[in-house]
Amino acid sequence: MNNSTHCHRFRPVPISRRQMLSECASGFGAVALAAMANDLARGSGGTSRTHFPAKAKSVIFLYMDGGPSQLDTFDPKPLLDQYNGQDPSKFFKVEPTQFNNNGTVLASPWKFNQYGQSGIPVSDLFPHLATCVDELAVVRSMVSEFPEHTFANYFLHTGSGLQGRPSMGAWVNYGLGSECDNLPGFVVLNGGLIPPGGIDCFGNGFLPATFQGSIFKPSGSAVANVDRREATLQRQREKLDLVKGLDGLAGRQFGAHDSIESAIANYELAFQMQMAVPDLMDLSKESNLTRSLYGLDAAYEPTRIYAAQCLLARRLVERGVRFIELTCPNVGSDRWDQHSNLKEGHESNARAVDQPIAGLLKDLRQRGMLDETLVVWAGEFGRTPFAQGANGRDHNPMGFTIWMAGGGVKPGTIYGATDEWGYKAIENRSEIHDLHATMLHLLGVDHTKSTFRFGGRDMRLTDVKGHVMHGVIQS
Amino acid sequence: MKIMNRWIPRIVLFLAISVAGLANQAVRGEDFPPDQIEFFEKRVRPLLIEHCYSCHSDGAEKIQAGLQVDSRRALLSGGDSGASIVIGNADASLLVSAIRYEEYEMPPSGKLPEADINTLVEWINMGAPWGVDAGNVPAPGGTIERAKFDLAQRKASHWVWQPISRPSVPEVKNSSWPITDIDRFILNKLEVQGLAPALPVDRRGLARRLAFDIVGLPPTPEQVDQFVQDTSPVALDRYVDALLASPHFGERWGRHWLDLVRYAESRGHEFDYETANAYQYRDYVIRAFNADIPYDQFVREHIAGDLIQPPRLSQQNGFNESVLGTGFWFFGEWAHSPVDIRKDETDRFDNMIDVMSKTFLGVTVSCARCHDHKFDAISTRDYYSLCGFLQSSDYRQVRFESIAHNQQVADQLDALDNGYRKAIRDAIGGLFGDTQVPELLPNVNSDQVRMLVDYSNLSTENYLQDGLIFGKRPRTSGEAYLELHEGKPSVSIAEYSAAVNDAFWDIEVNVSESRPGGMGALDPAFRSGRTLRTPSFESPTGRIFCLVAGAGQIFACVDSHRTIAGPLHGETLRNVELASGSSNAPHWVELNLQRYAGHRFHLEFTPAKNQTFAVLKVVDISEGAGPPALATDLNAMATRLLELAANNSNAQSQLQSIANQWHSDRERLRQTLMPDSALAVAMLDGSGEDDRVLVRGSSANPGDLVPRRFLEAIDGDQPLSIGVGSGRLELAQRINEPTNPLTSRVIVNRIWHHLMGRGIVASTDDFGVLGQAPTHRELLDYLATYFNENGKSIKQVIRHVVLSQVYQMSSHSQPEAIAIDPSNRYWHHRSPKRLEAEVIRDSLLAASGALRPQFYGRSVPVHLTSFMEGRGRPGDSGPLDGTGRRSIYISVRRNFLSPWMQAFDTPNPFSTMGRRNVSNVPAQALILMNDPLVSQLSEQIARRAIATEPEDRSNRVNWFYEMLFARPATAEEASLATGYLDLQAIERGVNPDDLSLWSDLAHAMINTKEFIFLR
Repeated sequence: MNNSTHCHRFRPVPISRRQMLSECASGFGAVALAAMANDLARGSGGTSRTHFPAKAKSVIFLYMDGGPSQLDTFDPKPLLDQYNGQDPSKFFKVEPTQFNNNGTVLASPWKFNQYGQSGIPVSDLFPHLATCVDELAVVRSMVSEFPEHTFANYFLHTGSGLQGRPSMGAWVNYGLGSECDNLPGFVVLNGGLIPPGGIDCFGNGFLPATFQGSIFKPSGSAVANVDRREATLQRQREKLDLVKGLDGLAGRQFGAHDSIESAIANYELAFQMQMAVPDLMDLSKESNLTRSLYGLDAAYEPTRIYAAQCLLARRLVERGVRFIELTCPNVGSDRWDQHSNLKEGHESNARAVDQPIAGLLKDLRQRGMLDETLVVWAGEFGRTPFAQGANGRDHNPMGFTIWMAGGGVKPGTIYGATDEWGYKAIENRSEIHDLHATMLHLLGVDHTKSTFRFGGRDMRLTDVKGHVMHGVIQS
Repeated sequence: MKIMNRWIPRIVLFLAISVAGLANQAVRGEDFPPDQIEFFEKRVRPLLIEHCYSCHSDGAEKIQAGLQVDSRRALLSGGDSGASIVIGNADASLLVSAIRYEEYEMPPSGKLPEADINTLVEWINMGAPWGVDAGNVPAPGGTIERAKFDLAQRKASHWVWQPISRPSVPEVKNSSWPITDIDRFILNKLEVQGLAPALPVDRRGLARRLAFDIVGLPPTPEQVDQFVQDTSPVALDRYVDALLASPHFGERWGRHWLDLVRYAESRGHEFDYETANAYQYRDYVIRAFNADIPYDQFVREHIAGDLIQPPRLSQQNGFNESVLGTGFWFFGEWAHSPVDIRKDETDRFDNMIDVMSKTFLGVTVSCARCHDHKFDAISTRDYYSLCGFLQSSDYRQVRFESIAHNQQVADQLDALDNGYRKAIRDAIGGLFGDTQVPELLPNVNSDQVRMLVDYSNLSTENYLQDGLIFGKRPRTSGEAYLELHEGKPSVSIAEYSAAVNDAFWDIEVNVSESRPGGMGALDPAFRSGRTLRTPSFESPTGRIFCLVAGAGQIFACVDSHRTIAGPLHGETLRNVELASGSSNAPHWVELNLQRYAGHRFHLEFTPAKNQTFAVLKVVDISEGAGPPALATDLNAMATRLLELAANNSNAQSQLQSIANQWHSDRERLRQTLMPDSALAVAMLDGSGEDDRVLVRGSSANPGDLVPRRFLEAIDGDQPLSIGVGSGRLELAQRINEPTNPLTSRVIVNRIWHHLMGRGIVASTDDFGVLGQAPTHRELLDYLATYFNENGKSIKQVIRHVVLSQVYQMSSHSQPEAIAIDPSNRYWHHRSPKRLEAEVIRDSLLAASGALRPQFYGRSVPVHLTSFMEGRGRPGDSGPLDGTGRRSIYISVRRNFLSPWMQAFDTPNPFSTMGRRNVSNVPAQALILMNDPLVSQLSEQIARRAIATEPEDRSNRVNWFYEMLFARPATAEEASLATGYLDLQAIERGVNPDDLSLWSDLAHAMINTKEFIFLR
């Protein structure tokens, strides 16, 4: 997708050959770099090229808002059936929870079956996804540091429990630049539920605004301010030509400056984006087969919404967008946060995402895109093996399940384990920092080397931690 | 996990000491059985060599964390985190915890296989046998030499800790160029580099530059003309002085300041609860900049404005300005239901210290939270010594309008009451004077009962309250007081000692924005100015009993957590109803706070509306025990007192007449009280508390107490000499001390940054080793000295800088200069400056005539677009144009920041941001191209233009240029514009004066770079 003419038009005075290469390679990101190129206050450390060969070029992050239960999805625990209804403190120490309203051991309302060549168990919540298990690397030993949504959301997205750090998508684009000339490198396809913590989950933190997540809606006018205000395209073009002409004349007032040249060039980008978005959003050319694969015409509205998000995610990957996050559609009850009515709530949420995700994986596979696209399915934490109240589960950051697929991930894998209750991770305990390190690794980035100096430190997505989970990476 | 880990390090330390003797005896290999040595050599040493030596051995390039594992003694002596192994107890060994990936994660390249971990566990449990050592083995009894954190060395080797010098002004060759000494410092370096300065900018360019830099608004065409035509030698001074005197100055520079203190009006986190009355701080800042109060006063007010006596009073309204400064501490993110409440406190404190140290000192003290600073002369003890000031201080909403005035009323009331009490004693002789009224509960510290607060026996400095209603001291038993029964006054005798609110104050009304977020249970309107605060204490059990009478609210503030909105922590808030029946005797109220056993508390007591609330004692009681019985039968005592009075009719009638007079005097005084007061976020001083070092920053791992003090590199490591309370006033004094090399350098550098586009130290918030070195260190010191010698006046420094040649240079650079200095490090020309988000919006409003020059007040709600979603979304969207108010008056809700502001780099309010990013994003162009506000204002600009120049179209084009760019159009520009207009008129088939054409021209001009850049 690189358009080399852009490199010439946007080029600042290069500080080094390396930096020049980085700007030319980074398309959308180049503009920000141009503005920063002569900036004394920034330390170096932004990575321009990959540290090692990249397996994945793009990431689709399927954010499962609220914390789906590991025990009811991918981590079956027969002991829960055996001791259903009994006091958990007879068997293990119950740690403080968010609601402090702990009930008895709660068996999963769903049956598990093994699927595919790999025999990975999946609960009846995901009949479609079950047909894709041989693509998945299921990590059953995730831990987070926070049992509260907002802290945990920021942590999952930014590597810190507090507001103000750059999001994963911002870091990835900062590190790699974008391969797309007319769309932002970090797109959030909002199905309706902005996570607790708000859009700061997708923020650029101390990085330049270029790296902010851009929020797209899956239908209608997808992006803020993308609809021109002039009656016709021609009229807008003529106005922009006037702007360009006046800018050219005003150059005499300023002298030559990269910052101004870049700002002028920015208008071309914006104009192209304005054109690219409707093209992106136009699903009419997708075949009926594709439509039904994703569930675009499903009976359940949240499924249709998520199907559109998943299909748009593929289309964004095709256009070279680096990082795409999908938020959950509103299923009427609540996100995956079943403090009560586990059965109904999880069923609705699963119904919304199951077919679209399976469709996405199959579509990426059949188009030969899955190997270069890392798909990550994760909530901010899991849930307790004992009930909250009668029929819910409270937050549990001490052991939960996520999965990854494509992009160099070892398919058909189960990695790590929780204890026999599914309460705490005991084998290959994996931190959120480890997930981030692994994602960056698959993108070819050494998480310890992608840094940005702020507040007296060389900041990283992984803070001072993070270990690549080699067990989930295809050798 | 956490609960277990919490104890391990202590055990490690303890055991490590106890086995030290053993260790000394077993240095050489032959002391262990051969099979154990073989086990070590074959299975253990290879593991250590392979996985640990590269960072933890004598041969390591750099020894990490001070730990070596290449000798037994080294392991026992340990690294920065203490002993590494506990002989015979693998589970208590830090090494094992680390390889199990519990506390540390070692080796970092990946967790060892289970079998290898088991080998090391077995080896430690075996007694850690060791073979023959090689390399750097410490002598018996000695410890490993390791690179220690050497504060003195760090201080000596970094420029910023050195005193501010008084540099001599350098000689320059081109003596005709400089106007001021600033110019000589700059020109000297330019000449050394073989560079020449750019020519001065033209006067119109200068007029526009100055207006934006000083007041953040475009100059009107009339202002520009006047300046251009003013041929007097002091024309520039006049122009600058007028701008500095404009009340818009405070709005412009106040906004810079708000970036430093991460100003926001909501709490973020999940529901983005409102920070009620935050805007009062914003207004305070604007007023302070306009008034140009000396910077040391401004600093003092921020750190300790609540403690300044006398406070600085508003010249207009007489209210307490000083206390408003302390609001800055509290604009951080607040969580509403943290499971680990102490950890949450440490995060809040961290943000407060981070912001305070970066804002005022330009150093990153927060980097020393988990370990001594990696680069700077700042220790972990520095960090936690500062935390003590926060442990000793509280959040409150202060009645800042009435507090100064009503304090005087309170003083008069106290004198008046004392007078009447004396009169009563005189009137009835020694009737009560020598009657010892027994206390309800003697001071009963026992195994079961621990007295936490006793209002019958309390030192003056521990009598703390927000407001005045609890009087200057507790009421003591046997003391006379005035009581009203159905409006009829009578003298009563206190039956017990207690802190009691005085109904005198019941007419006070709190004027406040709504309570935080609607859900937060602590309502400032109810609590402010009416709350008694106990000293802080730790309760080992959390079983806290309060002896109270009357009705009110008890809030147990645990670890300074105040956002009570469920699901957790509801138990910290307790309402006490009037005891049933006529009896209003003191009774025990139990607070069930076992969840918080071992935490730090203080209690806050607030009387119910128009009720009396008496607080006698607070005790902590062991598990299983009940509160102590009250020692005296109350009724019997009351009866006795009544009898004493009744038996003396003379005394009785005298008492009644005193009561009547007392009452009328009090009523007269009450007329002078200022009942209504707005509220503002502020600090309240608590009892003086030191904080503990948290080992590796973990709240689960408390270490030594550190006394409160300022940074050791500046002030030494002796505790600060503190009178009473927190000591913040003393801290402020240390920050302002002329011997502190940071404060004045940091502020003059900020001014330079805003005026010149880049600080002399480019990293404005970090003067440390990882920050940028100053490009002109002597100039920085010259400016700091100038500042200190000119009343620490911000305006004086601004004036001094903008009157220099270097400020007035043109943005046209010479190619030769660019070749030598492409980043303009030496300032050979002026780099164009992209205007900030707020300024772009404000100048659009100004040009369109929509700007409402209204100052201060509650914020205009932010306009919500359909892309701004999520929990805590405000119920009402503000108007598209923000009712024409300047951007500083638009509400800043953390989770609903204006997309406009975000696109143009207004910082997210999470930490100090003295230097904004200047990015270039398509969203910026899309906003200026397609945002409805821009269209709307473009049209208004066009209307103005047509109204001003109804006839002459070329004059009209010129008007645009003068209004938007402070200059006339060039002939080419005019012809390009009119060409566009003519063509469009034909294409659209409209009259050449048609509004739509001119709106489009205005819109196009707004989209040119000249609109958003300063030349």
